[in-house]
Amino acid sequence: MSTALRKIGLGGITGNRTALFISLGLMVLLLLVPTVLPGYQTLFRTILCFVALAYGWNIIGGYTGYVSFGNMVFFGLGTYCAALLSARGIDNLFADVGLAVVVNAAFAAVVGFPVLRLKGHYFGIATLGTALAVTDIVGNLDIFGGTGGLKVTQVDEAHFAIYYYAAWLVAAGAIAVTFLVARSKLGYAFVAIRENEDAAAVLGISATKYKIIAWAISAAIAGAAGAVYARGNGFVDPSIAFAEDFNVYPIVMTILGGTGTVAGPFVGALILSGVNETLGHTFLKLHSLFFGAVIVLVVLLLPRGLVWLIGLRGGVRTWIKSLQAYKA
Amino acid sequence: MRISDIGMRFGGLWALSEVSFDVERGSVVGLIGPNGSGKTTLMNVISGVYKPTTGEVRYAGKRIADVPAYDVCHLGIARTFQIVKPFASLSTRENVAVGAMYGRNGAKRSTRASFERAQELLEIVGLARVADRPAAELTIPDRKRLEVAKALALDPDVLLLDEVMAGLNATEVEEALELLRDVNRRGVTLIVVEHLMKAIVSISTTIVVLAEGRKIAQGAPSEVLASPQVIEAYLGSRWVKRQEQLKEIEAQRAEAMRIQPPEATA
Repeated sequence: MSTALRKIGLGGITGNRTALFISLGLMVLLLLVPTVLPGYQTLFRTILCFVALAYGWNIIGGYTGYVSFGNMVFFGLGTYCAALLSARGIDNLFADVGLAVVVNAAFAAVVGFPVLRLKGHYFGIATLGTALAVTDIVGNLDIFGGTGGLKVTQVDEAHFAIYYYAAWLVAAGAIAVTFLVARSKLGYAFVAIRENEDAAAVLGISATKYKIIAWAISAAIAGAAGAVYARGNGFVDPSIAFAEDFNVYPIVMTILGGTGTVAGPFVGALILSGVNETLGHTFLKLHSLFFGAVIVLVVLLLPRGLVWLIGLRGGVRTWIKSLQAYKA
Repeated sequence: MRISDIGMRFGGLWALSEVSFDVERGSVVGLIGPNGSGKTTLMNVISGVYKPTTGEVRYAGKRIADVPAYDVCHLGIARTFQIVKPFASLSTRENVAVGAMYGRNGAKRSTRASFERAQELLEIVGLARVADRPAAELTIPDRKRLEVAKALALDPDVLLLDEVMAGLNATEVEEALELLRDVNRRGVTLIVVEHLMKAIVSISTTIVVLAEGRKIAQGAPSEVLASPQVIEAYLGSRWVKRQEQLKEIEAQRAEAMRIQPPEATA
């Protein structure tokens, strides 16, 4: 992009550039994991799924400002898309991801019509309710294997890296989609809705339409992550597919990194996954305490996330000043 | 644009009743009236924010009340808000660009073209110096300018301006008037709500006066301001009565003079 364009502000709402470049660099490094650190493949595959989930949440929760507590439902449906295809003898990652994207975008659009009319806390509660309802429905239907779950056919162990690369591609795709959205008219519609829905309408933005688009994109990304997770995991049941972790972690990761930025979810996902893994081994259950502490500290001290901190010029004084401005 | 028999009720209160007037293409209609007379309510009805209890606003063959709020600007009607509503986290330029992207000609504009249009408009309204600042940091007069720029970005035929000059100093008011005249010369019809009588008289071709939700006068600025009803609405009935009494006393005195000229007694 030429500097002339940047001068007229065409950088879009991508957030801090330095953070974005660091993230992209790390993302490329992550490609090396299966060859350099084969023992950590499973761990990093899960982290990449969380990266994608965080990006999915960022579209609706970060850019559009609709804080969803139900994105795990899209992840869960994604895992079942792969499981159901596998049960019918179709073992193709592209088919898994394709089906998950289509099913989830459609599901989000249908559920979105009533749910996206709600705002703030009401929207949050409705999404959580939807997620719990879907969990129970799936757990009680035979086609989904009930609470017993479904087996997902895998390739033999020697080729397991394919699942890692698939997860990497989904995460990279999520970053690319977010970047494109943030650079396009679409991203501005989302942010306008977040800032003031009435003012957005006056400027010709149909809030309903763009909220549904945002949620469908969000759901499609989460679904794709679910599909590759299921293949890598080899087994799906309601407690795995709709695990609370897949709901809460992506939100905390995005908030820690910086909502409504392109680099934020990646930064947050990497840091929290790393810390979680280390603490999880040492303290077992205690690491969830750490998550709670992180949420509180971030909300108090870093309301705009780490990415914003990287872009901050002027040191501690500017930071304190902007915190005061944020609270006012 | 035809405004016919508009009534707007909030609970038990009629904020507007039986308000009718036509707006000619290319004219500047000044909408005045004391506080609480229903000016902003009428603006909200015309721009489709409120659905009127009675009557209708017709523009380009459509009833505004039937058009969803986000489509009103696509008909060619744009407005500013008395209480400004900038997108706080976006820059000033981005605020205007959003209008250019989704307004009347937005579908035809690329992101880049929208930003270029935004830059042009910022220069026109005098905000180019703060183009990259977050809108949250703008001063109140600048926020008013931003409202105008956002509305202009929608490429309107009719522009509704709700107190865009409030809080500006004399020089700034003169600049704002010059800007509005310029916009009007380009063929945009203006409907202006303003408290500043001097400003509204100097720019309007027609003035409509509201008082307690009713239209009490309409016409050229000079005749409207001379109308006793308008004076009464603004300065109160006691003032008008006092003026009448004074006039009567004056008349009696003149009469007395006529019957018995002072020279005669001398």
